[in-house]
Amino acid sequence: MRVQLKDIRKSYGSLEVVKGLNLDIAEGEFLVLLGESGCGKSTALRMIAGLETITQGSLMIGDRDVTEVLPKYRNVAMVFQSYALYPHMTVAENIGYPLKLQKKPKDELKKAVLAAAAKVHLEDYLERMPRQLSGGQRQRVALARAMVRTPSVFLMDEPLSNLDAKLRGVMRAELKRLQAELGVTTVYVTHDQIEAMTLAHRVAVMDAGVLQQVAPPKEIYDNPATRFVARFIGSPAMNIVTGSVADGTVAVRDGSVPLERFAPRERVSFGFRPEDCNLVAPEDGMLKARIFSTEMTGNETIVTCAIGEDHVVVRMDKDFDMEADELVGIDVNPEKARLFDYDSGERVHA
Amino acid sequence: MRDRSLFQRMFEPPSLTEMAPASRLLTYAILILWAIVVLFPLYWVFITSFKLPFQVNDGPDFIPFVDYQPSGHAWRYIFVELGNDTLRPYMNSVIIALTSTVLAVTIGSLAAYALVRIQYNVKIGTVAGFIVLLTATVFAITRFGTPWHITAVIALALFFFFATSFGRHFKRSLGNNDILFWIISNRILPPVVAVLPIYLMFQRVGLLDTHVAMIATYMAVNLPIVVWLMRDFFAGIPIDLEESAEIDGASRIRIFATIVLPLARPGLAATFLLVLILAWNEYLLALFISTADAQTMPLLVAAQNATRGPQWWYMSVLIVIMIAPIILMTILLQKHIARGLMVGAVKG
Repeated sequence: MRVQLKDIRKSYGSLEVVKGLNLDIAEGEFLVLLGESGCGKSTALRMIAGLETITQGSLMIGDRDVTEVLPKYRNVAMVFQSYALYPHMTVAENIGYPLKLQKKPKDELKKAVLAAAAKVHLEDYLERMPRQLSGGQRQRVALARAMVRTPSVFLMDEPLSNLDAKLRGVMRAELKRLQAELGVTTVYVTHDQIEAMTLAHRVAVMDAGVLQQVAPPKEIYDNPATRFVARFIGSPAMNIVTGSVADGTVAVRDGSVPLERFAPRERVSFGFRPEDCNLVAPEDGMLKARIFSTEMTGNETIVTCAIGEDHVVVRMDKDFDMEADELVGIDVNPEKARLFDYDSGERVHA
Repeated sequence: MRDRSLFQRMFEPPSLTEMAPASRLLTYAILILWAIVVLFPLYWVFITSFKLPFQVNDGPDFIPFVDYQPSGHAWRYIFVELGNDTLRPYMNSVIIALTSTVLAVTIGSLAAYALVRIQYNVKIGTVAGFIVLLTATVFAITRFGTPWHITAVIALALFFFFATSFGRHFKRSLGNNDILFWIISNRILPPVVAVLPIYLMFQRVGLLDTHVAMIATYMAVNLPIVVWLMRDFFAGIPIDLEESAEIDGASRIRIFATIVLPLARPGLAATFLLVLILAWNEYLLALFISTADAQTMPLLVAAQNATRGPQWWYMSVLIVIMIAPIILMTILLQKHIARGLMVGAVKG
């Protein structure tokens, strides 16, 4: 179902942790709330679930205003970071718990539990207790419990963060497929940008209780609305160098990059991604730099260069071989470069 | 491997999970010693119950059939000659201890749960208003002889008025910890101090020497212990579980009954046992409140130390039959006092 957050605020005493959140989540959409810990994303999710009261604003699920509705009447399903399995119940009882509360007939309940367990490949573990399962299996039980009824919204609070890296990758793929199959609106909270980029239809980036940008992953990556989003998305992060704009070029320390159509500015944050620049001979480069360190990751080499005090990261192929402290030039692709206001961090358009 | 002398091997653990022979020896020696300290009095009471008076006074005789010839005279006296006079206090003890324990654990658990999960914010002004009105009520009734029910109703009405309007003007408020401290402070005074007011209170309402009075008193006395013990057990249950159940569609009562209580079972069992033993062995309050009809076992045991001096043999029989049900209860509840119930609830 469609979920609408209208200017939602949350305060604890005088501390405001969510500052006017507006989101319109379409039916069947997979929306990821992304941000650093403490940015208010979990609080926002818990407000949708009804576990936190909404200080101001309104929340709609479908056509219903649920701002003041108790969690049990919202028909949402939530997967917790800790899984929150009931340790004294078997896997089958855990999965069937929401249906048992709805007083579903026994045979119907059994069928639904079996179907949900099959979706996450847990058919053989139904009679086990949670303590007899591995971390990944517990995660699946939590997912099955969320899917056993047909909720109006799935809410997921960092569901994969307790798994090891390899399992996380597998579960991510399964989660994406399950969500697409079920077509249930999903709000997913994470601090992991890879999860956000791979899973989401749209990513909502939050910082300090303020929504920075809501856009599809590609758009977020290519056209970040603020310097925060630019730095937060992408690994290695976007390079930000301070400079000034004049006469169709951006001048930074030790060089300049031609950037037409931009109004002159005293101070500006000049950003470009590590893959949108190239290392060339020192005398040919737009910017002059010194190699700080090189890291070979297997399929590519991450080269960190120093321009004065600033560090700039360049992505090169795996055969790159230059030593630290060698002088180099950096060429930047002007079309992919982005400008941000130095003070507000807002994107500056041509 | 290097050769070691026998002496060295005494102090080296053979493996990571086993103790070195020397430490094992020491550990068991201490345990056996302590077991003797604990078990010997029980043994002593048990064999004394089969002794004749002169055997008790001659003593010490330790081994039946060798040191002395056991006799069932004390048992016969307690069960046949005293008969109903033994059975009545025994049944009183059972009824009073069990009922008061069940009530205390039920009410105390609910209170403890509420204090863990709900934040209370009682304005100091409201508390002060209550105290002032209570004093005024008592003063009006005793001094001016106003009818008590009318006075009480007026005071209550005033209190609710104050609580909703007057109390709000006070910034300072009491939180859950203050409430908890107040509850435990009920146990700070020694019972001797409270026993006279309690006696007078029950005398006034005509409930002296009744089960009701005993149950009410024991329940009130043991409630703080239940609240304090259960609070820790409830606080140990991850709140995620309850939130998850809430979202799954469970009501608060349902969460308490199907999630919280089963998980707090070890705590419940331990608390139940502790409170039961406290109520079962209580002497001082029983001495004041009960005289004949509601007399409990501790009083009967004490009564054997009468004009003819302490009659150890009768006392021993009573003590043996008093200990038996508690031991039985402990064995029954022991399997519930298990650890590790929470494994698998959260995280991997």
